[in-house]
Amino acid sequence: MKLLYDLFYNTDVVFEGWRAAAHQSWAARGWPTVILDALLQLGWAAAAAVFLAVNALFIIWFERKVAARMQLRRGPNRVGPWGLLQTLADTGKLLIKEDIIPDAADRAVFRAAPILVLVSTFLLFVVLPFGKGLVPADLNVGLVYFLAIGGLSVIGILAGGWASNNKYSLMGGMRSAAQIVSYEVPAVLTVLSVALLAGSLRMGDIVRAQPAYGYVLLQPVGFVLFLIASNAEINRGPFDLPESDSELVSGFVTEYSAMRFAFFFLAEYTNLFLAGAFAATLFLGGWRGPLLPPVVWFLLKSYFVVFILIWVRWTFPRLRVDHLMAFSWKVLLPLALLNLVVTAVLVKVL
Amino acid sequence: MYAPPTHGTIRQVLSGIASLGKGLWITLAYMFRKPITVQYPEKRVVLPLRFRGRLMMPIDQDKGTTRCTACMRCVKICPNHSIDIEKATGPDGEPLARPAKYLYNLGTCMFCNLCVEVCPFFALVMSDEHELATTNKSVLVLDLVAEKHRLTGKKASWWQKKFRGTEEAG
Repeated sequence: MKLLYDLFYNTDVVFEGWRAAAHQSWAARGWPTVILDALLQLGWAAAAAVFLAVNALFIIWFERKVAARMQLRRGPNRVGPWGLLQTLADTGKLLIKEDIIPDAADRAVFRAAPILVLVSTFLLFVVLPFGKGLVPADLNVGLVYFLAIGGLSVIGILAGGWASNNKYSLMGGMRSAAQIVSYEVPAVLTVLSVALLAGSLRMGDIVRAQPAYGYVLLQPVGFVLFLIASNAEINRGPFDLPESDSELVSGFVTEYSAMRFAFFFLAEYTNLFLAGAFAATLFLGGWRGPLLPPVVWFLLKSYFVVFILIWVRWTFPRLRVDHLMAFSWKVLLPLALLNLVVTAVLVKVL
Repeated sequence: MYAPPTHGTIRQVLSGIASLGKGLWITLAYMFRKPITVQYPEKRVVLPLRFRGRLMMPIDQDKGTTRCTACMRCVKICPNHSIDIEKATGPDGEPLARPAKYLYNLGTCMFCNLCVEVCPFFALVMSDEHELATTNKSVLVLDLVAEKHRLTGKKASWWQKKFRGTEEAG
């Protein structure tokens, strides 16, 4: 009972104890501890992979349900209770579908692209604190890592668009590249003002440095800017130009089918969760909260932000390409800069 | 035509943001409404009287037979040649004013209602039957005379009102 309580509320202590015990018995046998560390990291990776899959299954169902209710429909309700198993059934379908590679495609790059996209998404889990001590590696450059790896997925998208050898795919890939590069700038600047407030780039420190109500109240503009920028970076909502159905068929995923398509899809919905999770970590106080275990708080906050992003997606129509660029460079960037300067001055003065 | 903005930039921006909020409010409010979906195979809506299901030639209670006189107007007007009539014949082989067979091809019918509209005797009715899928093409040609369909309920009185009204007037 005590262990169960500690596992939820003092995860860091329990895990540290286990790690130390494992290290001790490992060293006692005279084996190099590097191997143990590698194995432990592998454990984290496996846990993250399982979470990634389960989360995608849930979040796709969640989005379909929310979208349906906003349009006065019912959404998936046939497979399993409340249609919860619908995504599982769809996954099964995607697994057994034929994997088609177009004749004119650049085969190697075409195959690599979905993996690149998913890997760059997967790598973000390294610095994401799910709870007290529930983080694979709390890097001291966590924020920089998050921004750097977050921008990496554009390579996969661009590669996929290029390798498909299809005009729609290429245009989708190009748009995506332009969009991610443009929106990365305001995102970095808003995240920077959070770093200024917390005085650290380490995710754990940022969570601990926040007041009980989080940084939303200190950084209201920053929070909104971050939501908009990250929504644009994950190619969703009113910013889904890279795969705008009505003009580009499906953008960079046009030529993809079966599992390769599923990889893009998985990455897209994991990115949605990650956008919510990082917004919750940086602005809403992460895993901190009264009564409930940290993990529960973290998931609640993350899915709350995810709900906001879904809500926005199913409310607003898509932007025009030039408006999209103008919005980033002429509106978001000046606002983010202003926000950063004001934050910096206030941090210095107060 | 381009209409110049009537407000200053700041007011435009503020009203733009307000309109975004309005949009968000609408979707959120709709989320808590009851879905209007009817769970089809289990639940069904009441179909409107003029719903165009497949063609029927109902029995007229007063005559005891169909109202068809085999005048061939529906055959002529049908754009897809979906209707074919075999006239009944008397003892000497002379044609009578009633059909022996009224062959209706469901496979080519496009439910345009022209046959119903052109019929001077109101012999035809578009029924409520709409679950018409089949795996066998040969069952798609129906003999409406042999079917001897009897309308019931609202649809029956709606149909009877058509010709009873005209008889009184004429």
